[in-house]
Amino acid sequence: MIELLDLTKRFGALTAVHNLSLTVLPGEIFACLGPNGAGKTTTIKMMMGLLRPTAGQVRLGGFDLAREPESAKRICGFVPDRPFLYDKLTGAEMLDFVAGLYGVPPAQARERRAALLELFDLEDWADELTESYSHGMKQRLALAAALIHEPRILVLDEPMVGLDPRGARLLKQLVRQWAGRGVTVFLSTHSLEVAEELADRIGIIDQGRLIAVGTLPELQRMAGTPAHADLEAVFLRLTAAEETTDVVVRAHA
Amino acid sequence: MILRTAASTERLTGPPVTYLLRPRFQAARNRYQRAPVATRWQRLLLAALAVAFAVGVFVFFYRVLLHFLTVPDFGPILTYKLLAMVLLTFLSVLLFSNLITALSTFFLAAELERFVAAPVPLRNLFHARFVETLIESSWMVFLFAVPAFLAYGLAHEAPPWFYLWAPLTLVPFAIVPAAVGVMLTAVLVNVFPARQARDLMVLAAIVAGAILYLSLRLLEPERLVRPEEFHNFAQYLVAMRTPTATYLPSTWAAEVVHGLAVGEVGHTPFWAALLLVTAAGSWLASARVTAALFRSGYSKSQEGRKARLTQQRLWTAALGLSLAPLPRVMRLWVGKDTRTFFRDASQWSQLILLLALVVVYVYNFRVLPLGGMPLVTFYFRNVISFLNILLAGFVVASVAQRFVFPAISLEGRAFWIAQTAPIDLRHLWWSKFWVSLVPLLVLGEVLILLTNHYLRVMPFMRWLAPLTMAALTVAIVAVSLAAGTRYPRFDADQASKIATSAGALISMILCMSVVGGVVVLQAWPTYVLFFSYLQDIPLDPGQWFSVVGSLVASALVVAGATFEAIRRGLRAMDEFSTRSASAALP
Repeated sequence: MIELLDLTKRFGALTAVHNLSLTVLPGEIFACLGPNGAGKTTTIKMMMGLLRPTAGQVRLGGFDLAREPESAKRICGFVPDRPFLYDKLTGAEMLDFVAGLYGVPPAQARERRAALLELFDLEDWADELTESYSHGMKQRLALAAALIHEPRILVLDEPMVGLDPRGARLLKQLVRQWAGRGVTVFLSTHSLEVAEELADRIGIIDQGRLIAVGTLPELQRMAGTPAHADLEAVFLRLTAAEETTDVVVRAHA
Repeated sequence: MILRTAASTERLTGPPVTYLLRPRFQAARNRYQRAPVATRWQRLLLAALAVAFAVGVFVFFYRVLLHFLTVPDFGPILTYKLLAMVLLTFLSVLLFSNLITALSTFFLAAELERFVAAPVPLRNLFHARFVETLIESSWMVFLFAVPAFLAYGLAHEAPPWFYLWAPLTLVPFAIVPAAVGVMLTAVLVNVFPARQARDLMVLAAIVAGAILYLSLRLLEPERLVRPEEFHNFAQYLVAMRTPTATYLPSTWAAEVVHGLAVGEVGHTPFWAALLLVTAAGSWLASARVTAALFRSGYSKSQEGRKARLTQQRLWTAALGLSLAPLPRVMRLWVGKDTRTFFRDASQWSQLILLLALVVVYVYNFRVLPLGGMPLVTFYFRNVISFLNILLAGFVVASVAQRFVFPAISLEGRAFWIAQTAPIDLRHLWWSKFWVSLVPLLVLGEVLILLTNHYLRVMPFMRWLAPLTMAALTVAIVAVSLAAGTRYPRFDADQASKIATSAGALISMILCMSVVGGVVVLQAWPTYVLFFSYLQDIPLDPGQWFSVVGSLVASALVVAGATFEAIRRGLRAMDEFSTRSASAALP
């Protein structure tokens, strides 16, 4: 379970995240949407202990991230939006290394490594240095690394970026599978289709505030859009981006 | 119609060479204008160092040339020979430098993708990259050559135009190895993958540099200032009177510079013309070769490569076995660091230079002219042995700035892996500390023990120097690593860039302050004990008190610096677990 309690992050005068409170339950897929610079990545970085919150608390699987960082991180898998890896390690070595960091016994790590490399179609590249990987391959390897310790919580920042349609479909299937096993999934995405297709609940962040949370029908009601309206219409209405769209339409006309 | 004609012309010619060079100059301008204050100071310091270096080169050459010119009849021949030797060295340095630079500018640079994908005629791209290669690989030679030429002119009382034309000779002189380097690179990347070719060349350059450094030192150039030796050396040079290797551009440049310096027209225009024509011809030839080989070479340079040696079973097993006693996190990190270190030629090849440095260092002590009166000699041996702590401390501190200071920064943009892993980042810091400490302790002790062996110092120094060096090495490693943690450069793509950052400069100053402080504090007890040993008079209680007091004070300085550095380093590490490490974060 992920619990964010009054989470706030200020950078000088700018408040990137403002009193954000949220609970994501085990087995739930939560998608975080928002325009560029809304505070999605900042929220994720605070959740993963990469950024210290100005105020508020992050609890992961019941562990307070500030007080018990190691216990909290041990149950999490994380894929950043730009997954930089160690260039001079091979894919297989990279997975072994991460497995070791999360305390996976070597024999188990080898088994999981083989399974994950096969799953993500990287077997042929296992012994190549990651510096020669394409962006999509690095993304797949980062996903494999996030899963090697079988986390209870999975945090994915823009996981579809760089993936080919096959990889994207595979990831969607896997996310559903993990959630089915009780894994809490928190993902940020720009893709409204992905959110609509995958998420049990969707949160919309705008200017550092969580302005709406709920299932698609709940969001439609909040936005006052018709029941058949898709997530795009809801999103545009809630983030007050409709006016911008109108301007573009008028300019085009 | 007019528009269409203009567009067609543009399609035919593409962006001009100057346009392709513009981003480089704009970036340089922005770096200069937008640099933070600390960086500006650092640059100012570097500029001052460069000027000091140039002045040093000038003074050295001027004195050597004047010394040579005192030899009746043979003076000008000797100076000419020296010039030819220097230019020949430049030529080989330039060739290696161009080979490595051309690999990057023509085949590996990240921005090439944009140029290759854009409608840029290959011819224009070639000329732009050629100019970049030329500037990048030759500027340091200019920094060295211009003061040397100036000294040459002044020593020979050259006419005024010498000071304009002699430096200009360097331009065609530098173009020839640049063109050859570019051509060879184009051929090499078609045979080997570019990254492998770069590793090979880096290695070859460093081995050649180490050999050159060793051979220059082992020639014992100090013999030149001893009259009896100088006579033999002069005879040797005169014996080789005929111009060396007339087919080499270094000889042509030497002829031009010498001709201009002594004011003899003679064959100077011929050599100058030969140099100019060869420069132009080789530039054009390299354009032709590159035009033929660039596309296939660039395509090959995009291919990946396997890690060879460091993936061998034997190597993996040996590494696993040697790391087995370490705790889990440390084992993981040391294993990862060892693998990445030995897969990066620009990193591990530095060890060769380090070895050459140690050999020369120890050799210098072996050949010290310490003959003469036994008492005086014994005194000097011990003074030198004591000062050697300072020198060895300097060497260890310099090596620490190259290898220890960048240790945390080298995690680079992948540092998020450590930050999000369920580990205490302090373990990572300690693993870097121990891994750095062991080889540096070996280095420091080898320098001290071997040199003390050659110096045959008194028993007290045999104990004091190695103990002091060991303590200083611990402090140097702690200070360098702490400074590297406090001032990380996660965005730097090369360890050498991290090692020359403002933080590294601060680290070096701190290390040398500790070394200097300890040497100052130990000077008095060493002095007292030396004379007690020499005169065979036991110390009185007051002397004992001052000796012990000074030694304790020096131990406190080292311990204080070490503990404070460790405290600060660990605190900086703690901050990484929750703070935005700016460039470190993805």
